Parts: sequence; structure tokens; C-alpha cells
Amino acid sequence: MSMSPASRRQLGMGLLFLAPNILGFLAFTLFPLVASFGMAFTDWDVQRHNLFRDDPLRFVWFDNFSLLFTHPDFYHFLGNTFFLMMGLPAAIGGSLVAALLLTRAGKSRLAMRSAIIMATVIFLLSSLVLTLGGADSNGLLFLFGSLMATVLVFGAWSGGMLYRTLFYLPHFTAGVATFVLWKKLYNPQSGPINQTLAPLLERLATVVNGGGGWVLGAVLPALLLGAVFVAVGLQVKRLRRKIRDGELGSITRFAGAIGVAVPMGLITWWLVGDSGLGWLAAAIAAGVMLATTQVKPDPLWRNRVRAATGLGGEMIMAMAVITVLAAVGGIAAVGVHLPAMAADGLEPPNWLGSFQWSKPAIMIMALWAAIGSNNMILYMAGLTNIAPELYEAADIDGASRCQRFCHITWPQLAPITFFIAVMSVIHGLQGGFEMARTMTAGGPAGSTTTLSYFIYIEGFETGRLGYASAVAWVLFALVFTLSFLNVKFGNRYVND
Amino acid sequence: MLTTSAQPSERRSALPLHLLLCLLSMAMIGPFVWMVLTSFKTLPEVAGEHWVPHDWQWRNYLEVFDVIPFTRFIWNSLLVAAWVTFLQVLTSSMAAFSFARLRWPYRDRIFFLYLGTMMLPGLVMLIPNYQLMVHFGLVDSYLGLVLPAAFSAFGTFLLRQFMLSIPSALDEAAAIDGATPWQIFWQVILPLSRPGLLTLSIFTFMGNYHSFFWPLVMIKSVEKYTLPVGLLHFDSSYGQATNLLMAAVTMSVIPLIIVFALLQRHLISGIQVGAVKG
Repeated sequence: MSMSPASRRQLGMGLLFLAPNILGFLAFTLFPLVASFGMAFTDWDVQRHNLFRDDPLRFVWFDNFSLLFTHPDFYHFLGNTFFLMMGLPAAIGGSLVAALLLTRAGKSRLAMRSAIIMATVIFLLSSLVLTLGGADSNGLLFLFGSLMATVLVFGAWSGGMLYRTLFYLPHFTAGVATFVLWKKLYNPQSGPINQTLAPLLERLATVVNGGGGWVLGAVLPALLLGAVFVAVGLQVKRLRRKIRDGELGSITRFAGAIGVAVPMGLITWWLVGDSGLGWLAAAIAAGVMLATTQVKPDPLWRNRVRAATGLGGEMIMAMAVITVLAAVGGIAAVGVHLPAMAADGLEPPNWLGSFQWSKPAIMIMALWAAIGSNNMILYMAGLTNIAPELYEAADIDGASRCQRFCHITWPQLAPITFFIAVMSVIHGLQGGFEMARTMTAGGPAGSTTTLSYFIYIEGFETGRLGYASAVAWVLFALVFTLSFLNVKFGNRYVND
Repeated sequence: MLTTSAQPSERRSALPLHLLLCLLSMAMIGPFVWMVLTSFKTLPEVAGEHWVPHDWQWRNYLEVFDVIPFTRFIWNSLLVAAWVTFLQVLTSSMAAFSFARLRWPYRDRIFFLYLGTMMLPGLVMLIPNYQLMVHFGLVDSYLGLVLPAAFSAFGTFLLRQFMLSIPSALDEAAAIDGATPWQIFWQVILPLSRPGLLTLSIFTFMGNYHSFFWPLVMIKSVEKYTLPVGLLHFDSSYGQATNLLMAAVTMSVIPLIIVFALLQRHLISGIQVGAVKG
């Protein structure tokens, strides 16, 4: 080591301050990381290697991994993980909308006088309904009416601060307590969700059986299918233009196709319940996307375009398309089945107890907790940092509200959106454990078992530590690949 | 001129906007309203369709303490979270001082290694960490809960960001006056990074108050359960008593709401600093 005494002293001092942290880091991060990698190649099993029985550990090469990749359950659980992640775009979009609304409320304050007048009107209306309908039927309306009146007055008084607090509450309290609460909310008999849904669905069933079925069964799905075609068509048109102009590289094209194919496959699998058809749908979607975006780039640009140009932006676009597809797919599916279902009366879903509805149930709860999260706070900070001159210039040019959002707000928020998307994907891949453990035990029939819950089961209940470590490393590889792609290619998009 | 033309439209949109926010807020607090109301019901009333209980059972809250050692759970949670917070803030602030204020070879390379570990999925480390605890006989002990959580790359990163914003003239002046690095750390930098320390403390405390996976696998005896594991235990053994369960859930959520209401400002500034990439 050719280091001067002075810099050696500096090194010593630096490490001295680092020592407490670095010791912990070595013991609880680096060592476990290395150990876990080693364990993934052994047959370490608590059944055979414990206090009473100590068979020698065997090095099994890639047995754990080949067992994993040939096991259909693994793909099921991986699919579950991705399926739950389809809620992320909605959560991020929800945070953005909430942030926009809250920022506006901060700017255009509600005058105290009109708040009190409005609150009195709401209160009087709800108590009128209460007295007319009797306490039995509309106590709930009165309850929320008076709550709304209170919130409105205090919201006006605090200049929108109260709303931010209320929005943030579900995220701040999210944990086992709120999961247990939602488990009770989802209870098919005594839970308030189904108690609210049941009469509404009953009314819907009479409408459908009374001859309205064909509207919902044929027209609605047809309209929605048309919407899908338009959405995909627009996306394809955009991609073709971008590729021709040299704004997109080939890797981006493939990534975008995968980004649309995966949710297509997952939605088909969820609707039909057949994983084979899911794979088929994914393959078709990928094929269509790749075939339709096959254009020759302008030769002038060819040498200058890098393969992964525009990846970050396309990933976010793919996420937006996913949201549209998921919503449309869900509604269309309901529409198709509605007349047949309504024949014997409509019943609200069994939520956490049903193979099909357990995942959407968890996604709805996650959305509730995610809208008012840190992401909303970040967006709010981003919105206040946008220079007002930009909007003033747009006003002079006579830009519409939509144009202002598309050409100023959204591009200005791009770095924040990108950061949020990256972090959400990392968390999403590792997510689902707490919900699965507290609400569903991973069921029914494994429908809510994500990779993290799978690792927990294998590592801490079955005790196959080698196998669990292999799963953990597959998850690690996934997280790493996605983060790497994002960091390597996404930054450029943000800085442009 | 522009502002005067913008003013009336802004004011006109205030009422619908606030009403919309109000409705959304109802969706956000709806589950909590149901939770509180249900916690005051009698058990037969829970399955009924009325949200508001007919006669309010204040006793439910006392009964929770008879059914499970709830005080014990809260105490365990507070104890573990407080220790983790203290140790993490101490180790993180020292490391952050080293990264932000001291100059030494390889510093930035080691810092990027730290940053990289923030990206590691915690799940990968859990199984070997548990075996480590088994090896040292720390399973089912408070120490086993505290120790692995006491060192954090995130905390180091967060405090480094805070410390970088302190003018460097301060510690240079102190160094000229003959202060040792420890004195600069303890008497100059640490008092100045108080907002950062507070933010990290809130994050760490809350994170550990909610922490579920590690206590779940580590703690075997009921009297050492932390609150989340205790709630799960309550749910799986007396879950049919929805009213009592909701009383317990209410009691574990209320402290959070109070803490949040008091410390909102610090939390929000902390989130913003934490998200700034290094």
C-alpha cells in the first residue's frame, strides 16, 4: 500500500466513525447475503439438519433451481406477484390525482362562510332524510352527512391541510391492524362491503332479468372491446412514429411488447382460469405489438439510435396501457357473464374466500392505502416546485387545462414519476407477504401466495432452507434486473 | 392583469373541489369509522346492518385486556422500537458524519456500496439471519429483535443528505480551534442535524412499530409478542369476537394517528429528503 501517513490517518478516522455501522452491515447484511447464496446450492432442510439429527449438508448444484423452474406452483406464485403489481399504475395515478387536487385546494381556499353554509345544507339534508326514512334505513347517510359537514368546515379552516392528513392516514396506519380490519370489512356475511353491495346487486339483477341483459351482456363488452382496440391502436401509432423518428431503440420495443403481453396473459388467466390460455394470450399480444411496430427507422438516424433509447418513458406508457387493459378486461368480463349470473340472482363476491376475487380484494385494499402515501407527498412537492412562469406562458398562448397538464405538469413531474415507478416495482416484487399472512394464509388454493409469502412458507414453516434461498435469489435476480434496466436506461429519459 | 382574470375562476371552482376532496376523505376514513363503531357493539349486533351501535359497550375496551396481554404487547412494541431507534440513529449518524464531513480514501466507493445495499431485497437476508440468531441463541429474545435492525443503510443515506447541507465552514472553524473529529461530530454537526435526526427517528420508530416479519419468526412466547404479532394472535384465537378485535385494532391505530397529527411537518419534509437520489 503506497499511502501517505496523512491519508492513512484519515482512512483510520473515517473507518472509526463508520465502525459501528459497518460491523452491523457485515454481520447482518453482507454475511447473510453470501450465506444465502451458498445455501441456495445446498439441500439444507430443517427436518434433516437440526439439534437432534445432523446429516451432512450436501452441495446439490442447481437442483433447487431446476426443481423451482419445473414446478407449476412457482409460475402460479410469480403470476400472483405480477397480478398484484398491476395495481401499481392505478395507485401511482391515484397519488398524482390526489396531489393535484390537494395542491389546487391549497391555492383556491374555500371561504369560511360558504363552507359553513354548505355544511349546514348537507347536515340538514341528511337529517331530513333521516327523519323521513326513519332511523333504521338511513342512519348511515346521516352519519356520513354530518361527518362530511364537519370535514368541510375544518377543511376550509385549515386551508386543505385536513384533507392531506385524512388522505395520508390509511398509509400511515397500514400494517397488521388495518389488514385485520379489512379482513372484517370483506367478511361475506357480516362485513359492511357486502352488506352495501347486496341490495345494489339485487336491484341490478332485476334490471338485467327484466330485459336489460343484452345491453350489459353484448353492447357494453363490444364498446369496451372497441376501446381496447383504440387504446392499442393509438399506442401502436405512437410507437411507430417514435421508432421512425429514431426516438426508440429495439430493446425498448421488446420491453414495451413484454409490458403489454404480461398483463394480457394475467388478465386472461384470471378470467378464464386456465394458465395455458393465459400464455397464449400473452404470446398473441406480444406478437401483435411486435408485428405492428415493425418499421424501418429513418436511415439517417439508424447509427445514432441506441438499442434502449426511451426505455423509461415506454415503461411508464406500458404501465398506463396495463391500467386501461385491466379495467376494461374486468368490466367486459362482468358484462359478458352478467345475464347468465343474474338468472339466479346476483350475489356479492366472497372476496377473500374466493379464488377469483381474493387478488382484486387485496388490490383494492392496497389502493386505499397507497393513494395517500409518500408518493402523494412527493408529487405535491414536485407540483409546488414547477415554475409558475411556465403556466403563465401557457395561459398567454391560450392553452387548455388538458394541454397545460400534458405539456407542462406531466413532463415536469417525470423525474418524480420515474423514481416512484422504480421504487414501486422493487417493493411490489417483494410485496404481498403481510396481506397473505394476516388475511388469507396465501389462499384460497394459493391464489394470494406471492413470492415473498412462498419464501416465508418454505423457509420458516416447511423448513426447506436451501430451496427457500433459491427462491429468494430468483426474486433478487428479478429485482436486480428491473432496477438495473431502470437505472441504466431510465435516467437518460428523465434528464432529457 | 393575468392574476385578476384568473381569480374569479379559481374562486368559483373552490366549492366543487372541496366537496370532491370531502367525498374522497370519506372513502379514506370510512373503514376507520366502521372500526370505531364496531368496537362499541355487542357481539350479536356486529353482524347487523347498522353501523351505529344501539347501546354502547365501553366495556369492550377493558375486556381486550382480560382476553390477551395487550398492555404487554404495546410495551414490547414500544421497547423494541425505542431501542432500535436509539441504536440506529447513533450508528447511522456516525456513519453519515464519516461519509459527509470527513475526507478519506475509498470513501465514495464504500458509500456507493452502502447505497447499493438499499436496493437488496430484505427477504434474501432473512433466512441466514434467522440461522445466525439460532446459532447465537437469540431466538425468542428482545435482543434478537433489536440487533439486526439497529444498522441501516437508509438511515445513513438520509442523515448524510442532511449533513451535506450544513456549511463546511463550521467544522473547518472548529478544526482550526483544535477540536477533534469526535468533538466536531458531537458538538457541531449533531446539534445542527437535529431535524434530520428527528425525521429518521420517526421513520425508524414507525417502521419498527409496524414491523411484522421478523418478530413473527423470531418470537415464540406470547408475553414477548410485539403488537402486530399480538394482533395476529388475537385474530387467530379470538377472531370471532369482532367487536373486541376492533377495540384492539382501534387501540393500536389511535397512537399512530396522534403521533402523525403531532409530527406531520417533520415527516413530510423527511419524505422529500429521503427521495432525493444521491
